[in-house]
Amino acid sequence: MSALFSDLAVPRVPRLVRFGDSEGLLLGGPPAAEGAESLDRHLARLGPAPMLSSDDILSEVRASGLQGRGGGSFPLARKLETALRSPGQPLLVVNCSESEPASRKDRAICSARPHVVLDGAAAIARALGAEEAVIHLHGSSTEVVSALRVALAERRTVSGDPLWRLSCGPGGYVAGESSAVARFVHSGVALPSFSSIPLARQGPSGRPTVVSNAETAAHVALIVRCGAARWREAGTDSCPGPQLLTVTGAVPEPGTVVELVGVATIGEVLKAAGVTSAPQAVLVGGYAGSWVQGDVAWHTDMEPSALDRLGAERGCGLLGVLPHGACGLVETARIVRYLAGESAGQCGPCVHGLPVLADGMEALARGDSVRRALRRMSRTAEALPGSGACRHPDGVVRLVASTLKVFAVDLIQHRAGTTCPESNRGPVFPLTPAANSW
Amino acid sequence: MRVDPTRCRGHGICALMFTQGLELDQWGYGRPLDEIPEGRRSLAQAKRAERACPNQAVSFTVEN
Repeated sequence: MSALFSDLAVPRVPRLVRFGDSEGLLLGGPPAAEGAESLDRHLARLGPAPMLSSDDILSEVRASGLQGRGGGSFPLARKLETALRSPGQPLLVVNCSESEPASRKDRAICSARPHVVLDGAAAIARALGAEEAVIHLHGSSTEVVSALRVALAERRTVSGDPLWRLSCGPGGYVAGESSAVARFVHSGVALPSFSSIPLARQGPSGRPTVVSNAETAAHVALIVRCGAARWREAGTDSCPGPQLLTVTGAVPEPGTVVELVGVATIGEVLKAAGVTSAPQAVLVGGYAGSWVQGDVAWHTDMEPSALDRLGAERGCGLLGVLPHGACGLVETARIVRYLAGESAGQCGPCVHGLPVLADGMEALARGDSVRRALRRMSRTAEALPGSGACRHPDGVVRLVASTLKVFAVDLIQHRAGTTCPESNRGPVFPLTPAANSW
Repeated sequence: MRVDPTRCRGHGICALMFTQGLELDQWGYGRPLDEIPEGRRSLAQAKRAERACPNQAVSFTVEN
């Protein structure tokens, strides 16, 4: 057993861990301020990755129940099994591009623990029998690019690694979507594709293509080192293993990355990021996620089955804090306008429908022709889900639907002409990637 | 029936060719209906819709 899990017992009490905290499974080790952990320090801390056969890796991943951490929560084992059943040499793409504007967890893990991500990527490649693994990242995230470049250079001596290829892609919300990533790696076009065939069966190159998120790969590194059973203990049955979360919005340091080992309420997670009491509302799962009332969220466990009862999803693990006094309608109108602008412009319903939702949200925020706006929005929202090559429009519809539920009282007040005192304040949530600040 | 939304430009010809298999959304983009009738007539119309699309957005597979 490696040092990594040597003192891990079943967590009776949840642990919320920041970088450098010895109790962290992913964030344990040196603090983030020390920069990327070198290969020597990584090996000194964790020991070499065990050389498991591809069957053993696959069965550990299957037993772990690891779900993708990029947002889709799709079981990694199923992707791997599909790829292994399909003809052709599989290709692995590890998606480190993190296109969700306020999310910081993939950047954090890639720039501070590059070798944990690469160990995991090497294990997935081995399970697939893939000779090549592509590390895909956002060209403008300089810290991530340089950490991974240096890490790959250090790994020349590591045996059993696949052939590494670094792919620097463009930014943009939908450029990080898995079909867009697979297409960019193959042909340099970072746009989502429409296909009824899963990427894992046949990607753009014709080969089975497994696109896996950076945090997901890091978990595989833990799983092969400590075994699926122990890894699972750091989570719940519906979300096994530890999870990385990003807390943004009204917190002391927006973009704080927290590792949750065990189960904790959203309130406890927010406390670990410096929030002292239940906020007005929490945006759960990403910008295309769902609003949850602050006091409800505060007491809800941060795990899929509890979130599901509130109509929310874990998504990419983002928690956005809306403080008391801010206006949920104004804030959502900003986000929806941003998301409408992030359409790849390929699919008609997205091109025509998202601006209708953005106009509608702005009308609601102003309290202007509310009934007309709601009518147009509901007609549009009916046509959007499932209409595009990717799920971008579906996510915007989900955000808008949860807004109308959670901020219904605000809507009535706006309509009654009560001036919204907070509509002139600056945005609570960053809409363009901010500086790294975990 | 499948309509590739990245290719569809809303000509609407597919829904004319195969009214029982495809419809147009509020902007005029084609989308497959949930229930598509079986039979030779359907198959012929599906083929016609596929061929008629100027952007090759329409395709179909036959389930056994």
